[in-house]
Amino acid sequence: MPAIPADVFFATIPELNARLTSREISAEELARAFAARLEQLGPRFNALALALPQHALRKALEVDKDIKRGRLRGSLQAIPYGVKDLISFAGQPTTWGARPFAGQVFDYSATVVQKLDAVGAVLTGKLAMVELAGGGGYRYASASLTGPGLNPWDRTRWAGGSSSGSAAAVAAGLVPFSLGSETSGSIVTPASYCGVTALRPTYGLVSRHGAMALAWTLDKLGPFAHTAEDCGLVLEAIAGKDGKDPGSAGKSFYYTPQYARPNKELRVGFAPVDFAERAEAPARAAFAAALTVLKDTGVQLVETSLPRFPYGPVLSAVLAAEEASIFESFITSGKVEELADAAQIAGLKAALELPAKDYLKAQRIRRLIQEAFSRLFADVDALIAPGRAGPATKLDQRLDAGGPAAPAGTPTGFQGIIPAGNLAGLPALVLPCGFAENLPVALQFVGAPFSENTLLAIGKEFQTRTDWHKRRPPGV
Amino acid sequence: MKITRRKLAAAALVPAAALAQNQPALPRNPDEELNAARDRAKGLSDALARQSVPMDTEPAFQFKA
Repeated sequence: MPAIPADVFFATIPELNARLTSREISAEELARAFAARLEQLGPRFNALALALPQHALRKALEVDKDIKRGRLRGSLQAIPYGVKDLISFAGQPTTWGARPFAGQVFDYSATVVQKLDAVGAVLTGKLAMVELAGGGGYRYASASLTGPGLNPWDRTRWAGGSSSGSAAAVAAGLVPFSLGSETSGSIVTPASYCGVTALRPTYGLVSRHGAMALAWTLDKLGPFAHTAEDCGLVLEAIAGKDGKDPGSAGKSFYYTPQYARPNKELRVGFAPVDFAERAEAPARAAFAAALTVLKDTGVQLVETSLPRFPYGPVLSAVLAAEEASIFESFITSGKVEELADAAQIAGLKAALELPAKDYLKAQRIRRLIQEAFSRLFADVDALIAPGRAGPATKLDQRLDAGGPAAPAGTPTGFQGIIPAGNLAGLPALVLPCGFAENLPVALQFVGAPFSENTLLAIGKEFQTRTDWHKRRPPGV
Repeated sequence: MKITRRKLAAAALVPAAALAQNQPALPRNPDEELNAARDRAKGLSDALARQSVPMDTEPAFQFKA
């Protein structure tokens, strides 16, 4: 069998489709090559939870037969992918990234896996994650069954969490796309740190059935890929009504860039301070250049401020109350002590003691937050902020303390946009926008509920004018 | 401007020092760890209490009959 050209490992989904359509490459060849690469390089970044080469090969052979018979199932047919190890795949371990669940096996696959299987995508492996998606609040990157997620751009840096493996695997060209989850920041952070494109969908757009629950009213599943367009194609396949997910919005998603509003009609809210004083110094030049590119696309950048709410405490209260209920028996049984991170263990125990009044108060404030964002999106079509204020943190850096404090009196900007966006169930698109200290930095676009097509259109236009998403980490 | 090694070292140390000032002390044992987590939870409670909410604002979770 001829060797796969190296550029295939970083190809976009339409580029892979072109090679498949022209019979330059088969599903089997693609599956073999990606499965071997994931198995070989995944451990180098602590990105691999479980390799599934045999399953991938079986599925790819089926897909090749389908293609021969003219049974075409869309743009994801024959495309290899991986899922965060909190998404179940029938008959195989789903560890939730945590030692106490290392032997856990479900007899059913998550809805998203079933949907991707139906369109002919090829699952090649489960990807590493922070234990229990980090809901208890972890102190170190090492809070994972598979060790700290290592950043493909620099293995002394963290890949971000909690979807560490999902981001690292795409960045290193181990899978063309992957699925991760976000309760608050678990897609945005690793995508930013690893320099890949990712989408946090609107709450309820993608079924969570078969995925670990961390906080029912916050959890979302979403794609990591090389481009905004790839994210749109994956979202189209995984979105949709699911009676097995009580949070399902009952809506489908069709990726329709051809119907996107012209950029010059779009008003994008931003706070200049986020790209200057509140950004880490090494990242400011990249952010400034990215804003210039964005202006050149024609969008109107308008100074905006976020509604004032205690987003962090509200999110933490909702998360604590819901995770405490979900993991109550795990915590009270003492199994919680087997987790890797001491802060996470204590956080889960303390969560059991959160008063009901605090949960209810948080959910009532959340209603006000939702209303305030609804008013905000009457004035702007999207918001933009740095994905994170700077590049990936060092592996041994404590994660339970903030970064360097901004000088007193610095405006707050969009501080809290990650918890705010998650509380209001808003979609976010993350894309790389440059480098700082030889590490990627990223932008996040946040939109009104179900405005994914608008965000993807802005992202696609940005990526036609830049090549940050095409950069590859050294040595892979 | 001539940049000396000493100046470079000082520049590199500033963010680390600023960061260290932001970090709470590391708990020394599981009891301290749990107490620290409880303190954080109390902080949440206080922050939520400061936010006023109209009486007719219902919690943002769904119940459908």
